[in-house]
Amino acid sequence: MIALKNLTKKFGSFTAVDNLSLTVPEGEFFGFLGPNGAGKTTTIKMMTGLFTSSSGSIVINGFDVERQPLEAKSTFGYIPDQPFLYDKLTGREFLYYIGGLFNMQKDDIASRIGELVEHFELGDWVDKRTEEYSQGMRQRITITAAFLHRPKTIIIDEPMVGLDPRSARIVKDSLKQKSKEGVSIFMSTHSLEMVEELCDRIGIIKDGKLIFLDTRENLHHHKSKYDGKLESVFLELTK
Amino acid sequence: MFWKVTFSRSLQSVIKNAGSFVVFGSFAIGAFLFSRFLTAYLLEDVKIGLFLFHRFISMLFFVFFISINLGNMVVSFSTLYRSPEVNFMMTKPIPHLTIFIIKFLDNFFYSSGTLFLAGFSILLGYGSYFGFPWYFYLFVMFGVLVPFMFLAGCTAVITLLVLMKLASKISFKTIIALLVMFYVGQIYFYFTVSSPIHLVREVMRYYPNVDLYLGHLDPPVAKYLPNFWVSQILFFNITEAHKTVLGYSTMLVLSSAASFIALVLLGDRLFYSTWLTSLTFKSFSIKNFELTGTLFSFRKRSRLAPQTESILKREYWQFIREPSQWVHLIVMLFLVVVFLSSVTSMDFGLQDPKLRTAVYLVVYIFDAFLITSIALRFAFPMMSLEGDAYWTIRSSPLSSSKLYWTKFFIVLWPLFIVGLALAVLSNYPYILLSPLPQITTVGMALIAVSLVSLNFGMGSYFVNYDEKNPIRIASSQGATLTFLLSIVLLVILVSVFFLPILAVFNSIYYEIPRKDKWLYDGLAVIGVLSAVVGIASHTVGVRALRRDV
Repeated sequence: MIALKNLTKKFGSFTAVDNLSLTVPEGEFFGFLGPNGAGKTTTIKMMTGLFTSSSGSIVINGFDVERQPLEAKSTFGYIPDQPFLYDKLTGREFLYYIGGLFNMQKDDIASRIGELVEHFELGDWVDKRTEEYSQGMRQRITITAAFLHRPKTIIIDEPMVGLDPRSARIVKDSLKQKSKEGVSIFMSTHSLEMVEELCDRIGIIKDGKLIFLDTRENLHHHKSKYDGKLESVFLELTK
Repeated sequence: MFWKVTFSRSLQSVIKNAGSFVVFGSFAIGAFLFSRFLTAYLLEDVKIGLFLFHRFISMLFFVFFISINLGNMVVSFSTLYRSPEVNFMMTKPIPHLTIFIIKFLDNFFYSSGTLFLAGFSILLGYGSYFGFPWYFYLFVMFGVLVPFMFLAGCTAVITLLVLMKLASKISFKTIIALLVMFYVGQIYFYFTVSSPIHLVREVMRYYPNVDLYLGHLDPPVAKYLPNFWVSQILFFNITEAHKTVLGYSTMLVLSSAASFIALVLLGDRLFYSTWLTSLTFKSFSIKNFELTGTLFSFRKRSRLAPQTESILKREYWQFIREPSQWVHLIVMLFLVVVFLSSVTSMDFGLQDPKLRTAVYLVVYIFDAFLITSIALRFAFPMMSLEGDAYWTIRSSPLSSSKLYWTKFFIVLWPLFIVGLALAVLSNYPYILLSPLPQITTVGMALIAVSLVSLNFGMGSYFVNYDEKNPIRIASSQGATLTFLLSIVLLVILVSVFFLPILAVFNSIYYEIPRKDKWLYDGLAVIGVLSAVVGIASHTVGVRALRRDV
């Protein structure tokens, strides 16, 4: 469960996120849309502890991210927009490293790596150094790492960057499955198709403010006002 | 326009720039005064004579040359062959020679700014002791220091190009081994043929005529080395043999120009092909350095807490799999070993208390300087080397302070051992003067901890996750500032121990009662200073890790 309350982030005089409030209940797949520079990544960075907020609060699975950061971080997995890894480690070593950071036991890490390597079809690549990886392979390792410790919440910033169609399908199915299992998913993306396909609820942010928040079902009602396309709704709202 | 673009007018920026200016200015003044004092002390009090004094300068310039050379080689490897910027420029219609020359000059000036400042301030101090006219400094700057440093930079990149060319024909491991042997061999050979102990003994036979030119004591091979030319220029400038000065200076400038021309020609011929070769290096090196099943294997169980184990193993593999890191460390440790093997067998048979104090403190300060150099090179960049992957830490349930302290202890213990080894072994000739060796050894241990704390804490404060090259991080403005603060710490260390140590040697020479309390008082001052430096550095460092990334 995610609860953002009056969340604000200022960089000097510039307000990147302005009094944002929303809740993502357990098992919901939430799509977070917005034009470039709207405040999506800033919001996600505050949720994951990479930025501190200027005011407001973020509660994830019952823990305040700024007051109980370690407890909160234990419960979620994060997939950043740029899959930066430690170049000198192999994919498997990186996964062991992440497992260690999440205080997992060795046997558990090993068995989870076994399951996830097969699931995400990482094959022999998992034992090569990540400096050899393509963008898509890096993204697959990052996604695997986010799933490793069985998080209750997954926070994703642009998950499909560099993925080939087969990998993209696997990732979409995996996320959908996790959502059905009760994992809350907060996904920022520019892919309107993906939002329509996967998300239970959608929020649109512009200039740091939430300008749209509704379910996928109600979205069809909004779409009918235009030409039946989500793209038209998005363009109209964000112009 | 220039001011508007270059300098921010925010209060924080103004304070930061003013602070840097004060520190750099203070350092320049400090280096000037120290150089002047040391010149006066060695020539007037210790009376080592002009010849020996300039041969010591020659040795210092040799170390200076090797440092610039090695630094430029490692930085150039990263920027010419591993940087996304060069990869990007190679896809544009820019001649590869232009890219090569621009990146070479960028590296050279980026990593040499502080060395210019230090070198010039020291020469100012030296020159002012002898009362040289103003044009001497211009001459030394442009006719000696700049060509000397430029020669070191050019020869570094020429060596790099040749090694990269060889890399397409022989294995990467062999190249690394050749590189290590090349530098270690140079240092070993130089200090073997120009043995400082032998030189001191030989020169002292001529006492009191030690200001004479005793060129027959120089090994024949020395005449071909640029550091020797520099010392000759300075020596003959004092004796007003202007033709000789001009001759050596011309040789230095021409060698520097010739090496640059050779570099450009070789760059034109080899840079593009070696850049292409370097693209295949990654997969090549990966297969050769994979070491599983070792103590540091991630699969292996450990008694450490999972988070600590993860960071420790990750640091280990990142270090071991980056040749530029351990090659540099091996060369630096080799310098330490050479130095230690020299000082443990150092027995000049000196009696004069001032001379003994000077020798003792020079060795002691050099111990501390070695720790400073290693700490700057390895402790300062440590947090920045988390790089873009730092998000893995910040989004995980690992506190910033735990990360900080784990990394700090990883870098502390090897440097602490090096510091202790230096202090214990360099005190070996003074073993019978208890408690002097014990107290200065404890002092060195305290200073080693505070130097590592200072470098690590400041490295965290000036963290730059975008820079992947550790040498560039260790040459940044923040690193320079830290280096200058380290030097201030070393000057305080010498100042604190000067009188107590002089009192020990006075008591032996004049057969008067010892004043050991002074030694304990000095140690207490060092203890308090180390605690203050350590606490301040760690406070600044831990806080900096909580910034937005």
